[in-house]
Order: sequence, then C-alpha cells, then structure tokens
Amino acid sequence: MASGLTGGRGGNRGRPIDQSGWGRTAFAGFVSFLYFLPVLIIIITAFKEHTDALAVPVKLLPTTFFGLIPESYAFVPTLENFQNVFSRSFSAGAEAQDTGFARFFFNSIFIAGTSVLLALILGTVAAYGFSRYPLKGNDTYLFIILTTRMLPPIVVIIPVMLMFRITGLAGTYTGVILLYAAFNLPFTIWMMKSFFDELSPDVEDSARLDGSSEWSVFFRICLPQVLAGIAATAVFGLILTWNEFLFALLLTGVETRTVPVAMSQTIGGDIGVRWGLLAAIETLFLIPVILVTFFLQNQLLRGVTFGTVKR
Amino acid sequence: MVPAVIKRRAPPSAGDAPMMSSASLAERHASDLFAVRWNNWRLALLVAAVAVPAAIAVLPPSVSFWTAGSLCALVALTAVVAAWGRHTGGLLVAPAIAVLVTMNIFPLLWSLGLSFFNYRADRQILDFIGLRNYERLVTDPIVWERLTTTATFVVLTVAAQMVVGFLLAMLFSRQFPLRRYLLILVLTPMMLAYVAVGAFYRYYYDPTFGLVSQFVNMFTDGSFVLISSTTGAIAAIVIADAWMWSPFVMLLVLAGLVSVPKYLYEAAAIDRVPAWRRFWYITFPYVKGLLLLALLFRTIEAFKLFDIVFILTDGGQNTETIALYVYRQAIQFNKTSYSSALSYVLLFTVIVLTNLYLYLANRRSREV
Amino acid sequence: MSTITLRSVTKRFGSFTAVEDVDLDVAAGEVVCLLGPSGCGKTTTLRMIAGLEVPSEGDVLVGGQRMNDWRPEARDIAMVFQFYALYPALTVGENLAFPLHVERLAPAERDGRVRQVADKLHLGHVLDRRPHEIAEGEKQRVAVARAIIRDPNCFLFDEPLSRLDVELRESMRHEIKEVLQGLSKATLIVTHDQLEALTMADRITIMREGVIEQIGTPHEVFTRPANAFVASFIGTPQMNLIDVAMERDHAGHAIFRYGTAALRLDLPPAAANLGKGQVTLGIRPRAFTLTDDVGDDVLVAQVELTEPMGAETLVHARTEMEGDVRVVVPRDRRVRGGETLGLRPDPLQTHVFKSSGEAAR
Repeated sequence: MASGLTGGRGGNRGRPIDQSGWGRTAFAGFVSFLYFLPVLIIIITAFKEHTDALAVPVKLLPTTFFGLIPESYAFVPTLENFQNVFSRSFSAGAEAQDTGFARFFFNSIFIAGTSVLLALILGTVAAYGFSRYPLKGNDTYLFIILTTRMLPPIVVIIPVMLMFRITGLAGTYTGVILLYAAFNLPFTIWMMKSFFDELSPDVEDSARLDGSSEWSVFFRICLPQVLAGIAATAVFGLILTWNEFLFALLLTGVETRTVPVAMSQTIGGDIGVRWGLLAAIETLFLIPVILVTFFLQNQLLRGVTFGTVKR
Repeated sequence: MVPAVIKRRAPPSAGDAPMMSSASLAERHASDLFAVRWNNWRLALLVAAVAVPAAIAVLPPSVSFWTAGSLCALVALTAVVAAWGRHTGGLLVAPAIAVLVTMNIFPLLWSLGLSFFNYRADRQILDFIGLRNYERLVTDPIVWERLTTTATFVVLTVAAQMVVGFLLAMLFSRQFPLRRYLLILVLTPMMLAYVAVGAFYRYYYDPTFGLVSQFVNMFTDGSFVLISSTTGAIAAIVIADAWMWSPFVMLLVLAGLVSVPKYLYEAAAIDRVPAWRRFWYITFPYVKGLLLLALLFRTIEAFKLFDIVFILTDGGQNTETIALYVYRQAIQFNKTSYSSALSYVLLFTVIVLTNLYLYLANRRSREV
Repeated sequence: MSTITLRSVTKRFGSFTAVEDVDLDVAAGEVVCLLGPSGCGKTTTLRMIAGLEVPSEGDVLVGGQRMNDWRPEARDIAMVFQFYALYPALTVGENLAFPLHVERLAPAERDGRVRQVADKLHLGHVLDRRPHEIAEGEKQRVAVARAIIRDPNCFLFDEPLSRLDVELRESMRHEIKEVLQGLSKATLIVTHDQLEALTMADRITIMREGVIEQIGTPHEVFTRPANAFVASFIGTPQMNLIDVAMERDHAGHAIFRYGTAALRLDLPPAAANLGKGQVTLGIRPRAFTLTDDVGDDVLVAQVELTEPMGAETLVHARTEMEGDVRVVVPRDRRVRGGETLGLRPDPLQTHVFKSSGEAAR
C-alpha cells in the first residue's frame, strides 16, 4: 500500500519497492510519540508531587538537563505516589493507613485470572464440540452466543444484580467470577472454534485409525496444536476483564473490589483529585498489560475480531 | 465402529444408535418421556414446569431462586444434548451453554418478564402493567433525546476512529526499522482501563492546570474551558474515545493493507499506473471489507458508550448516552422495570447490528 | 531499437551475492531464456532489468539507454509475472486497459486495442469477468495480453508457465512463441523448465549460483555443453557423468579406466589435446547402442530397474564401477531385470570434461 502512495514520488531513483529506511522510522516515531503522549504524561505524573501535578505552566520533565530547561518547567521526581497507593494518611497529620490497594490488585489478578481460566476450560471444550460435531442450525447457536457478548453490559447487569441480591452472590468472588466467565465465554468459543476449524482433519483421522480414543484425540492431537490460540484468547480475555468497570462497580463489595473501581473512587477525594496518586495506580495497573501486548502483538488482531479475520 | 468415528461430521443418529435399537417402537413412546437420559429435554421441561412454581410458592426466595435457576439450566442442557443427538458433541457444549444460560440468557428473560411489571428494586411492589413501560419509553422525550445524543457520539467517534485508524495503518503498512516497537506505543491506548482514560482526559481538559487548556491558552490568551458547553463536552468525549479505539481500526486496516500481494504493486509500477489509481483500484479493494467490519464493530461498541462518559462528564452538558440513562434509571432511581424495558430497546438495536456484522464477516471469509 | 544489454551486472543482498558479473545481450526480435535451478539468480536478473531491483554494480541498458537509476514506470517495459499479478478488483477488460491509461487514449481507441489483443489471445468471452472467475490458463493469457497491449521497449517473462498443468503448458508455449514472433522486441524469459527454454528460445542462458555458465542456441547447449553442470542440467533423461582416469594408447584411442575395468574409445575430437589424467566422461542415455559383443569398447552393465516412458524405455543399469548408468532403449527391446547389457557409446556423442568441470574443447 505505502508503495502505492510513495512509490510515485520517489524522484528518479529506482529504489526497490518494498523497503524504506530510517526516514519513515523518524516520521512514524514522531506520530507514535504524539499518540502515546497522553499515556506518557500519566506515567510522568505518577512521579510528581501533588503541587507539581497541578502546576501552571505544566512541568514536563523530571530534570532541568543541567540548567538547559528553566526550572519552572522541571519537577523533582518522587516515588511518594507509589508508596501512597498502598498506604497513606487520609487526613492531615493522621497516621498512614493501609489503603487496601494491595488487596484490590490481588482481587483484579485473582478475579481476571480465575474467570478467564474458567471461560477457557468451558469455552475450549465447547468450541471443540461446535467445530467437530456441528448440527443443523449451528450458526444460529453461535450467533446467539456471540450476541450475548455484544450486549450492552447495562442490559445484562440489571437482572443479574437482582439475581445476585436474591442469591447472596453480590459482593462475593464466586458471583463476579461466574459473571466474568460468562462474559468471556462467547469470544472464547468463537476464537477457539476458528482455531479448531483450521486444523487438518487428516492428523486426527490417522490417530483414530491408530486406535486413539476421542478423548486422547482431543487432548493429545488437537489441544497441543491450538496452544497459540489458547494463549491469544487468554490474553485478550485478561485485558478485557482486567479493565472492566461497570460489572465490577455494581457487583463487587469492599472485600472483592477491583482496581478500576477503586481507582474511580480515588477520583472523588477530599482535596480534589490526587492526580499523582491516580497516575501511580494506573501506571502500576498498566505494566502487565503492556508486557502482554508486547509479547502477543501478533495474536491481537485475531482477538479483537473474535477470530473472524484470519491473518 | 471405526468408519463411523472417522467420518468427522457424523450424522446425528450415529451415537444414539445402540440405545435406540434396544427399545422397540411401541415401548419407546411410553418410556421415552420418563426415561432419565441426558437428552430427554421433555422430561426436564415437565419437571421444571411443575417444580419452579412450586418452589417459588413454598421455599424462601434465596432457595427457590437456585432451584429455578438450576432447573432452567437443566432444561437448556438436555435440550442441547438432544439437539446434537450425539452425547459427545452435546456434552462438550453443554457446560458452556449452561453458564451462558444462567448468567446471561436466564437473567435477560427475567428482565423481559419484569418489563411487563411495575417493579422497583427498593420496594416490594409487583403489579402487572403489560406494555405500559414500553408505551412510556416510546413517548418519553428524554429517551429520544438520549438516543439522539448517543447517535451523535456514534457518528462522530466512529468517523474519527475510521479516519485516524486508516491513516495510522497506512503509516505502519510498510516495513521500517523499529516498526514493531512503535506499533506498541500506538496500541497502548486500547489497553488502558476506561476509568483511567476518562480520569486522565478530565485531567488534560481541566480549565486551570489541564494540558489541553494550557496549550490552547498559549495561543488564545484567554481561559479555555472545553467541558463547559455541550459542543465542547461532546468533543472532549469523542476525542478521548476516538484516541482510545483508533488503534483497533488500525489493526484491522493494517491486516488488509499487508494482505495486498507485493507483485501487484510491482505490476502496477511496470504498467505505469499513477499513484491514486494504484491506491483506488489495487489497495482499496483489499481493505474495503475489513473497513466495513471495523465500522460495524465500532458502531456496536460506541452505541454502548458508557464508562468514558460516566467518568468524564457524568452526563453533564447534555452528554448523557442511552446506556448512561439506563444506568441511572436502574441503579440511581431504582426503576427496575422501566429500565428493563429500555434495555430491551438497546438489545434489539445491538442484535440488528450484530447480525449485520456477522453477515459481512461471513461474506468476507467466503471471498478471501 | 528494442534491445536489452547487461554489462557486468552484480547484485548483492547484504553479504549474499545473488548475481555476479553477468553480461548478456538480447537483440531486437530475439527470445532469450534464462534457465537455471531455483535460487540461481535468474529472477533477480530479470527484476533488475524491470527496475524492481537496483544492481549493485554494472549497467543495465534497455534500448541502448542506461537505465540503472530509472524507476520501473519510466522504463517502458512489459512484464508477465509468475503469479500473473492480475488486479483482482478489475475485470479482465479493465485489467487489459490498465497499462494504457497513462497514454490517455480516446476511449474508442482504447477499447479497440483491448478487443484486438483479446481476440489474439482468445479472451473475448471473459472480458467482463473478474480474475478469480476465470480458469488458470485464461489468467495466464490475460497476463500475456496485458503485456503485449502496449508497445514497450522489451518483454520480460517470469516463469510464465510454471502454474499451468502439463497440457496447458504445451499449448501456451506454442501460443506465446507465436505471439512473440510477430513483435520484433527483445524478450527475456526466466524459467527453470528446460523444455520451455529449449522450445521457446532463440538462445538459452544457463545460470548457476548467480553466474552464467553458458549462452548458446538450444542446439549448442545440448550438443556442446560448456561444462558438466550444463551437460547434466540440459537433456532428459540426465546425461551419465562418469569419473574415470583417461589414458592414450598408441593408435590414438583413448582408454578410460574405472576400477579394474577399462573402456576404449576412438578419441572424441574434443578431447584430442587432453593428456593423461582424471576426467569426467559424459554420455547421454540415448547415445548407447546395445550390443552382444564383449569388446573393450563396450560397457557391461546389469539391469536394475526399467521405467517405460511410452515410445522408449529408460533402463537403470549397474556397471562394474560404482554408480548407475541410464540408458534409453527402444520400446520393442524388452529388457528384464538382472539381464546383462553390452553398451557401446557413440564416440561422437561422448563428452569429456576436465576435472575442473569444463568441457574439453
């Protein structure tokens, strides 16, 4: 494509069509930097003291670069915010208290991990069923399943809240994990089905001819071939669940609160929003996701489209 | 048995054959209904029809709920097994279906039921009022206003995402040094928590210390307050949402761009095809389908726009979307039945859009 | 004048040299085939002429004009790609017209040109279809038609027939040759199929590992291969190459010794000025006569395997030395496994290669 746009402008040089060099890197780097800037500022803000975070004009850099930059534009980096995430005093002069954030981080990890694992187990098995034993109207079933994922969360949450209130599941790990598992199931089924559909049936058939049971065909032949798919699905589910807000807001209690909910509650503080603190929370919260993105970049496309687009 | 197993897509009867042949035709009709089998959904339905009202009548709510729920799941499970006809296929799918039914479909049916009543979660009234809730929401000017607001957001944010996503994809369509790393920078916004995006855009838009305001004030010398007017607030939300989700469009478009075979561009170079013609007749056809998919997917998602608005303006300056409106009706005003009826309007819209999405996705996979 | 000239052209990718010091001339109206095993640099050579690659050293001249630094668009070259490179979103007719847009013809004239080449290549009935709706052979013809619709400086073909099945390949070979004969343009065809090269080319250029091994007419490369590689590459079944020690006897015969056995031949004229030493003897499978004599000019071999090829039978036979000998015998000569054959090579069709691989001339 790009050659389509730039190939014609290349002057009289006969340069090879599909190579471009550092010029493009520079331009793309500039654009990427601009695009990333809001995230970068969050990260920078995490190292600012409260007054620095509210400074006008904005203090952009953690150093004056040996006096090159006027001091009003630089701030002294501090790790205070990161400490404050976990324990701080809630009113002036008071003893530092545990904020419970260690617990919230644990909750986020535990809830996301367990629900994705549950969805993965149920979903992979179901996807195998859909892929290998399709019945008339298979597409209708799959459509209904996908629709449940496309639903606005608010539509689901109204009856689920009532249901949880009646059953006493509100505020428990079980309730929220079950709901997230159901929330992750549709795309797990869709993605895993698309991976199973791609496997060559010859290998399975030859295993059957060799006398393998259906059970071992699934575990020994099919499953090892879709491990990459499982990884992609898991990662995508983790990111979605990790960042999910509405369900967590309405269904978690004090004990089971996740980070996004706790973060939203940090916004409404006593002395205005403590931006440095909020930035520190988000920075910590972002690290796992960035790592995951880095390592599974290539699987992302499949994830965002429920496996409908083959790479 | 081996040949039957090898035939992957075996006819539904294959697995049941031994069981069926053991019973004669005459016995079958009699024993069929009461045979305790995984695929006997009629029996399950019968049991549920008797037991559910009984349980609701006799048992305390916390127990009767579980009874009703598990019986519903049982009906679904047996129906699924029966539909597959083979135990293997049905049993593989059944657990997932059971979870989906319990956590999604059953609650939805329940809220459909509630929408015909006059129920409020904070009071114990339960009057049947038929279609009154639907009548009310159709005539409610606020609903239409919220729908208009939502539509405005959908049009603006999706348009912005398509344009920005497309441009980003063009930038990254070629190989260049460090491409992989720069791509991650661009993909990061998609990975952020909605709450964080909402919160930090609030920080950037802040009238005094916000970066955007400071930047604008450098040129205008005035005091720039973005979220003070409806237009400004809408722009603020659209910018944040489009920033967050343009990388999604980029991913899809990029997939289309890199799927164009290189030799087509070489052939075009040799055929002396000018750049715009090359783009329009060679590149664009490869991206068209994916662009449509991205458009639809983002439309569905934008239609549900909630979190960012909730955090950024909380519906102020006329930015309340329909999802936020439903949230308020249900959670803050406890109008459970009315909001259930409202949510069915959302549901219907999303189903229509999803149908379109799948239709396009399937058509594309047939073409490519 | 439509000509192609390469002057000591070298192409390096990093530390890998794909094409080394290649000189080549294609005259107007001449068809030259670049033949070689895959990865020998023949396609890279073609792409340098087209402007899709830039040579690291040397000059590329098209129509007498040095074009090293010219973009492909500026070179006015027509090329048929290996995968045809038909534009999938356009109909066949639009595909054919695509190269003409730059000439800004009147629509009527453009349609006339399209109609004309379509008729020439029997494509009239598919003009309104998309590339994915037509047969493989038709795609190939569209690719050729799209190339000849212009009046370019020269024609380049990259493995034009490699995607067709055997039957289609034969008819297309014929068809392309016929089309090219009327055009008086320099044409370069890249192929790995020697039959394609032998039938279509006026001259064949054989490449190996980026280096040209021999340039010659189909007749020359077959009858007078420049080295053992060309000898083994051209001709099916493959030529027998036997490592032997050569000696002379006083009657002017050559004696080739292998192990304990020896073969005495009238000295092939090409080997007349070779002395004593290790050589490689090259004998084509069809250059043997079967004989019952057991003279010292006869190679004795035991039949191991026979492959009927229709009109003839290919026999794999084991000689007293290590290794097999391939012999082609007429169909009516029944050969049984284990049978002992006496094979008398035709001295005039026997090639002698020096230990360096070069042919003795």
